[in-house]
Formats: sequence, C-alpha cells, structure tokens
Amino acid sequence: MRLPLLWALPYFAPCLAAAEPSFYRDVRPILQQQCASCHRPGGASSGLDVTTYSALAAGGKRGAAFVAGQADESLTVKYLLAVAQPRMPLGGAALPNDQVELIRAWINAGAKDDSPAVETSTAKPALYSQAPVITAVRYSPDGQLLAVAGNGEILLHRADGSGLVSRLPGQAERLLSLAFSRDGKILVAGGGTPARFGEVQVWDVAAAKPLRAMKLTTDTVFGASLAPDGSRIAVGCADNTVHVFDAKSGEEAYKIGNHENWVLSTVFGVNSQRLVSVGRDRAAKLVDAATGRFLENVNLLRGELTAVARHPAKDIVVLGGEERVPYVYLMDRPKNMKIADDTTLVRKLGRQNGPIMTLDWSPDAQLIAVAGAAPEVNLYDAGTGELRWALKGHAAGIYSVTFSPDSKRLAAAGFDGQVRLYDTSTGQLVKAFIPVPMAAMGGAQ
Amino acid sequence: MKYLLVNSLVAVSLSAAEAPVTYLKDVAPILNKAGCTSGPCHGAAKGKNGFKLSLRGYDPQFDYEALLYDLSGRRFNRAEPGKSLMLAKPTQEIAHGGGLRFEKNTTYYKTIFNWIAQGVPYGDVAKDKVASIQVEPTEIAMPKPGEKLALKVTATYPDGTTREVTREATIESNTPDVARVDTASATVAGERVGEATLLLRYEGKYATIPVAVLNPKPGFVWKPLAQHNYIDQLIDAKLQKMKIQPSPLVDDAAFLRRVSLDLTGQLPAPDEVRAFLADNTPNKLKRSKAIDKLMAKPAYVDQWTMKWGDLLQSSRKFLGEKGTYGFREWIRESLAANKPYDVWVRELINSSGSSYESPEANYYRTTRDAKATMEKTTQVFMGTRMVCAQCHDHPFEKWTQNQYFEMSAFFSGVGVRPGYEVGEEIIYNQRSDFAMKHPKDNRVMEPKYLVAAAGVPPLPPHDLDARKRREAFANWLTSRENPMFAKSTVNRMWSYFFGKGIIDPVDDIRASNPPVNAALLDALTKDFLAHNFDLRYLMRTIVNSRAYQASIATNEWNAGDTTNFSHATPRRLGAEQLMDAVSQATGARPDFPEVPEDTTATQLPDPHVGKEGFLDLFGRPTRETACECERRTELSLPQALNLVNGGTISDAVADPKGRVAKLVLSGRPDAAIVEELYLASLSRLPSKAESDSGLAYLAGGPRAGRAQDLLWALLNSKAFLYSW
Repeated sequence: MRLPLLWALPYFAPCLAAAEPSFYRDVRPILQQQCASCHRPGGASSGLDVTTYSALAAGGKRGAAFVAGQADESLTVKYLLAVAQPRMPLGGAALPNDQVELIRAWINAGAKDDSPAVETSTAKPALYSQAPVITAVRYSPDGQLLAVAGNGEILLHRADGSGLVSRLPGQAERLLSLAFSRDGKILVAGGGTPARFGEVQVWDVAAAKPLRAMKLTTDTVFGASLAPDGSRIAVGCADNTVHVFDAKSGEEAYKIGNHENWVLSTVFGVNSQRLVSVGRDRAAKLVDAATGRFLENVNLLRGELTAVARHPAKDIVVLGGEERVPYVYLMDRPKNMKIADDTTLVRKLGRQNGPIMTLDWSPDAQLIAVAGAAPEVNLYDAGTGELRWALKGHAAGIYSVTFSPDSKRLAAAGFDGQVRLYDTSTGQLVKAFIPVPMAAMGGAQ
Repeated sequence: MKYLLVNSLVAVSLSAAEAPVTYLKDVAPILNKAGCTSGPCHGAAKGKNGFKLSLRGYDPQFDYEALLYDLSGRRFNRAEPGKSLMLAKPTQEIAHGGGLRFEKNTTYYKTIFNWIAQGVPYGDVAKDKVASIQVEPTEIAMPKPGEKLALKVTATYPDGTTREVTREATIESNTPDVARVDTASATVAGERVGEATLLLRYEGKYATIPVAVLNPKPGFVWKPLAQHNYIDQLIDAKLQKMKIQPSPLVDDAAFLRRVSLDLTGQLPAPDEVRAFLADNTPNKLKRSKAIDKLMAKPAYVDQWTMKWGDLLQSSRKFLGEKGTYGFREWIRESLAANKPYDVWVRELINSSGSSYESPEANYYRTTRDAKATMEKTTQVFMGTRMVCAQCHDHPFEKWTQNQYFEMSAFFSGVGVRPGYEVGEEIIYNQRSDFAMKHPKDNRVMEPKYLVAAAGVPPLPPHDLDARKRREAFANWLTSRENPMFAKSTVNRMWSYFFGKGIIDPVDDIRASNPPVNAALLDALTKDFLAHNFDLRYLMRTIVNSRAYQASIATNEWNAGDTTNFSHATPRRLGAEQLMDAVSQATGARPDFPEVPEDTTATQLPDPHVGKEGFLDLFGRPTRETACECERRTELSLPQALNLVNGGTISDAVADPKGRVAKLVLSGRPDAAIVEELYLASLSRLPSKAESDSGLAYLAGGPRAGRAQDLLWALLNSKAFLYSW
C-alpha cells in the first residue's frame, strides 16, 4: 500500500535537500523507465510525450503536465498518486515513493530544464570477449579508410583491412548507419541505444574527435544519410518520423511525419533537393529536401521496406525489404499517374533467399549489391538486372554492404562479426577480419 | 525457405562450469513460458510494438531469425550481454508494454544472459528439439476434494536424454472448478467432486492427465440397475468407479415424448400416448418396438434430412432455389434408403458434373475454395477444426500449418464453372494449374493425409491429378482404419440424444479435449463399423440403452454429475421441433410461404423460408458454416416474450379449425378436454390435481375461451418447451 503523503514528505525531505533535483539527471530517467512506453513521440497516449523537457512542458490533451512550484497541483503527480483517475502507470504497479518524491521535489523547486543544449558523445572504447554484430560499414571517399560500426563505437580501419587506425567511442550502443561527407572530413553516424534514445553523431575524421551529437526520440535512429552537398542529415525514426538536421549547426531543420510505421532508411537525390525515405509501412516517400513537403510515393506498396540506395548520378533508387525482391524505381512519379500504375518501375532484381537488409549501388553505376538474412551478397548488373556474382563466405546474415569509391571492392558484414572484402570483378573473397580488438583472443588481426 | 541456422559462429571458449545454452533447447521455452510469444503479446499476428514472434513459439526458427535479423539484431548485445534489450525489457529495466516478465535474479535471466554471452547459437534440431514429453502422474484419482498433488513434466530429446521441464511447461485444467492448477508450484488441487482434464504443453508437445475428484461421502453402495446393452455396461463401469448411482428409467409417457422428438422431431399424438401407456408388453421390449415404429415413419427421414442439411449447409444462399431442393432430395433419398454412411460420404467427396443432374456435387458449391472445403470436410466428417492451422501451427493440437495446406491440396483441383441452364453450375476436375501453394514461400504443397490409416495405399509423391486426389482422399476419409471418421460420427450422433458428446464440442476433437468415457466411444465406434456404417443401427442402439431412457430426476449420488450420463438432462426443443410441436398441440396447420401446404418446419428446404421469424428467433442454424454451434438452444428473454405476447402461440390456440375449437364442438365432457390438451401438449396424462384445477377453470367462464387459455398456459410451461 502507498504511504500517506503527509507521513512520507518529511521523511524524504532531508535527503532531497542535499542536491537541487535535476530534470536531466533525476526526473528524465524515471519518466523514461516508467512512462515512456506509452507517452512517447509517435502515438503518445493522451497526446503526452514525456521524453524531453520541451515535450513534457507542452503537456497533453488533459492539460499541462506540471505547474511549476506546485507539485500537488500538477497533473503528473495527481495521476501518479491516484488523486486523478486512472492511476498511472496504467495497469502497472504504482511508482515507488522515492521516485514520486523526486518528481514532486523537482516541480516544487520550479520544474527547471537543465537538459544540456549541445551534447557530444564520448565514452571509453569497449573491450570485446567476442565479436559484436557489425551493423554498418562505409568507405571514406578517398578510399583510404573503412569505417565499421562496432559495439558503442566506430572503428576506422585501413581500407584493405590491414590495420585499425582509430576508434571513435560514443554513448550510443548501436550505430546502424554511417555516411562520409564528400570531402571525407566528416563522418556521420546514426544509431542510439534501443528503447532508450536515438543519436546522430558527427565526427571530425582526421582528429578522431566528436564535433557534436544530437539526441532524439526514445529509440535508435535508422538509415542516416548525408546530402551530397553536405548541407543536411536525414534519419529515420521509430516514432514514424524522419528528422532532418542542418549538418553545419546540428539544428533540426524539420521533421516529416508522413510514414505510418518505423522509418528504416533514407537517401537524398543527386542534387540534394529531394529525399526518399522507406520503412515498415511499406512505403517509399519522396519529399522536398528543403522544406520536407511531401511530393509523391515512389512505389506501390508491397512488403515492409528496410533499405534504399541511389544510382550515383541519376535519381533512380533501389529498395528492398521483407518481400526479398529488390525494386529499381525512378525517384519521380508523376502526380497524374493512376494508383496501380507501376510504369516508373525500372526493373525487379532476383528474389533473395531471405529478407533484404542492405543495398548499395556502385559509384561507377555498374553494380547493385543486395544482402540480408541469407548469408550471401548478390551482385547484379545494374544495366541488365542479371546476377553477376553471388558472394559467399558469410556464416550468417548480413546487415551492411558498401562499395569502395573505385567500385573494385565490396565490404560486407553482419551477424557473424567479421568484415569481408570481395573483388567485384571476380567475385572472390579477398580478406576477412574481425574489426574489433579481442581481449581474450589477442586483439585484432 | 529456411535460409540459415547459426551454430557457434563466434568462437567462444566455454568454461567447464558453463553449460552450453541454445535457442532451441533453452531460450525458446523461456520466451514461451514468460508469455512473450502469447497471442496478446509478440505472438499476435502483427506482433507487438514492432516485434513479432510466432504464436506460442510454434516456429522457433522464425523467432530465432526475428531476433537475429529484425533491425540488425538489436535485441541482443554479444559484447555486453547485460545491456541486451531482450533482458532489459522483460525485467522492466526499461519501460515494457508487456510489464515485468521475470526478475534479474532468476534462472530465466541467467539462461538468456549466458546464451547471449555464448554468441546466440540456435542449437541442433537433431539434438535440441523436444521429441516427446512425459508426465507424472499419468492419471489422478483424488479420494476427496481439498487434496493437492505435485505434477512433473519431463522432456525427452532425440538422443534419448531427458530433463525436467515442469517449470517451463504450461499446465491448464479444462475444468478449474474441479481441478485447479497452481502454476507457480506446479500442483493440482481438487476443488469439488467431478472430473477434469489437465493439458500440459511444452515446446509443441502435449500430454493430458485425467483427474477424478471422488465423492468422500460415506455410505455409497452401488445398486445395480438393469442394463439394456453394452452402452449401459460401459457407463455403469465408470459410474461405479466414480461413486455415482445412475437414475432409473423415466416413465413411459416421458420416454415416448423424448424419443419421438429425438427421432422424428415431432410430438407423439394423444392416441399414440394412450396406446403406449395401455400396452402391457414388458417395458424394454415395448420401448424397443416403439423405437422401430418411429424409425419407420416418414418424419424420421425428415428430421435427419434436416440435420444433415444443416451440416452440409444446404441453402439457396450458395446453391440457388433449385439447387437447394436438388441437394435436399439427394440427402433425403440417401437417408431414406439407409445408404451406408461411408458410401454416401464417398459419393459427396467424389461428386462431379452438373449441379442439377448430380445434386451431390452441390457439396462443392457451398465452399468453393479448396481450403474452405477442406475445413468443412474435416469438421463435419472428422470432428476436427483445422482452421487455426491456416496461419500457424494449431495451438492445442499436433496439426501444423504445412498439414493444413497438404490437406487442402486434395481439393485444389476442384473447379466450378457455369452450366447451360440458369443457376446451373458444373463441378469438374481441373487439368492444370491447380497446385496448392504455401502462402509463406509459394512452395507447392503435395496432398498428404493428416493421419495414417492402415490399409490405405500410400500416395504417390507427386503429379496426382485432380480426380485421383479426391478419390484418394475419399478412400482415406471413409476407411475403417481412419481413426477419426467413424469415431467422430458416432460421437456426433450420441450428442443428438444426450445433448452432449462423449467428446464435447463434437466438432472440436483434439488431444486436449479427450472423451469422458473412452471405452464407451470405442465400443460404439467398433459396433458402428461392425454394422457397416449403418446410422439407423447406431441410433437404435443408443436410444435402446437404459442410459438414454433414464429419468431426469437425480439422487444424492448423481445430482452433481454432468459428464457421465448418469441421468437425463432436460433439453430445450430445437426451433423446428418447437414450431412443429405448437402446430401439433394446437391443430393449427403450419403455414409457411413458398412451400406446399402443410409443410412442417422440419421439412423446410433451407433457412430462407420463414426468415427472421419464429424459427430464427429460436436459433435455427443459418447454414453458413459447418459448425454444430450454429444451432442455438438457449432460452432468451426475446423468446420468452414471443411465447407470452407474440402471435405464434395465441393465434394457434385460437385457430377456428384447431384442436380447441374441434374439442369444444365435439360436445365431449370437460374431463376429456383437459386430458386431451395435456396429452397433446405435454404428451402425458394430467395428474389428479392438474385435472381438478383444469376442470375448475373450464367451469369458470365461456368454455371455448377457457379451453384456449388452458392450452395457452400449457404451451408456455417449461414442460412444453423442453424434452425431459
């Protein structure tokens, strides 16, 4: 049974007096743990989102979430203490007294926002006793480096796999996408910690230092892409939105809410003017990259979509996912086309042996690489759609593939924790290596 | 298509103390037991909050691949296992819509932790997949309520190794108010006298434990009653064991009413009742003769034509008017000729041609799709519901999704095309492009029998043409060795006479729904087969038993029994029976539109006639599904209001050409009128008190109006609405 408030208050008051209650440090984690599974961005119950200060301050359908200085007049406290019905968390156990008291203390102290304005993401590099899954690989534009997403860090390897150059550890546990700027100076990584926060990291490649990190939503972000002109960064989110940032300032430019399920990948058009996003709602949406205004659906709805990649010089995209078939579409779909008209479909590539998780189009425009839950990468002739090579050697599914800038190499990695490099002209495996230093097994190869 | 199984991809040296953990053997059972794969959670058809698992984990490989490949394996973290989402969520370290599933200090947590630390291996199907489960005890008989017993479940793996899995097994009682299961302690407690079945599940394997909680009351002495046939022997054997004393025979009048309604759907006429009561032949023989007489009546054929019309969904909604009449006549002729059951079922399954010239081919017009035909066929002729297995393996049976499509493949070659006459359709065997495909991966499913039947030749591995597919199916279905065909039919027929199957519901036979008296069901099945699928013989055997002829009155030992047929149970008349009984009792001739004069409710061709009237109110089946549950037999308020205030009864009793009018005009004395009205409605003579109050009422006002009132009152009594 809950303790009577009058009794509890003096009991807790002394220990709270020791430090000013902090939103960021104290209150936010409680809300995150206890409330955010319903009150989160995208489908927030009662219109209330508790995941950031600004969202909480905006309140919900029932009114303001708090009245600064007056905890017991605040709706949040009323619902937690069953003064207002239904008692929160709905259907779950009541919050422990100390947590309620922290929230009360914070509101009574003025409900101030102490969330840091600009964050960078740093942490200690991880120690590995076994290889983590590899969620992303990407070559630098000069072809010198191969960026690999490990556990809570990015590892920069020499492109031929001959050695580790540097490690870029951050707060996000998983980084699901990597993108270099055209000049190779900047590396953007999108990810986060599942069911906790999303993060976009911007790194100075040469200095191996973080420039900034943007935290957003309560889950990882997916399919981060950088506009070819370096102006914008787009990421897909688990709250069904696409967030677009100004790459220079890290300010959010706008947010797109036209998807109906998680958005898993994004790609900009050749001239950076437009943006395509794909997701679990099976849709590929084309928007104006300057404003976020919706233009057209690129595809006909089939299976859930996981990956999208663009032709290096034309506005043509290849997309794929659950249905296992990669579709090559013109990015533009004239407005006057009828709903079932599929004439902007350039071609279908072969059916894969498992759901598609990653796609890439070679910089020389000749090849399309397709991989996913099946342990093989299929290389197709982009011009004819014929299968050029089925690249073998993986022991399990593949999460990421990427072509080298000269299109001669393909790097692939996934569940088994190894990076494999292939010769795209012969289909032969050139090298395989574990990209993380292994504590128990004597470090990286 | 299964694309990969991962086994120890990442070299990890296990310390000797740490046993290897695999998904198949260790992790999947936890996800099932913790409820992750349950229907309201991630086992839902669309998953939950973006994470989908197979329902109750029936497809461990799908689930494993979901963990590995959905969103790049976000739910485990091999580098830091403790940070894995699949540990943080169920322990509610972070918000989880499904709440707390297990705590951090549990073996579940440690097992999953170790599995991740070992690199998330799948395991070896040949080694880690459960081959069978064994339960202890295998049968429970508690001497009295209030006792408690521990249960034990052991899994056996293909290599013969075993391990105890009681904690991870799911244990449920089908009658918790008799035997209550406490999941946490894996015990069963006897709550009250009666019987229950425990269903134990573990990784797709099932076992059942019958539980009997005996009556602890002292002083039970078995008083044997005369046994009419083997049915009584087998029922008595069980009753004696359960310390239940059966009720004796019901009196003659009630017997005649009950058996007339059950066999012909009609009440006995007053003169028939009188003659039966006056007959001094020894009781058993007298009843047996009455049964034979009833089975020789045309109304007997009407009654069973209607029942089979329900099951075969004979309705103009699917068949058109002419088609319905044709199909109905085919059913009627088969039953009138007492064609062996297996013969006419084979005729249905193998039917082809014009729906007008070969009316049995209408079987394929009600369910025009191979899957729907398969579902109907298995439900009607095998008492088995396959429908769950269309989307996932059956949760309470061994049927798999593959079997659903393999069975459907027997019917995938059946084609329906328009005929030459209006409303005519032709059923034909398609020559090409009729492969049944699995929806998951479009693989062609070859026909395959659901269960083996000895003596039925094996199917060729492929290329069976459409005609041969159905022939093979028909032969297998109606084989004497088919363990479900004869048995399910016997059980279904039994339910028509007792209100309840030996397995109930009769069309949901499965391992988790065992018979209440297996010996009885087996003996009936054997007898049915020995008499060449003779439905009349089967019915005659059933209604001749003492069990069928028992009274509804109970004694101190069988008052609580609802399962062992130790006494009869009052059953509300079916819609058509009731309608016809009103006509018979009142003498008001039935008056349905679109059918010849004097057509009874039982004789109506399909539910189109008299739609939305009295019959539908009283639960006439709509013939839209093959489920026995379509016929409703409850008594509802709108029904009661209709009887009291509606026109059906009041108009019938006041019919100027009806029974009351004729009786009053006949000039017979009041006593004769009262007696006749009781016989016509309740099929029995009034008691002295009933007769006296009836006479007093008739004398108290205008005779015709008073007689109508009396009949109206009788028709509104429970004794009229029920068979007892």
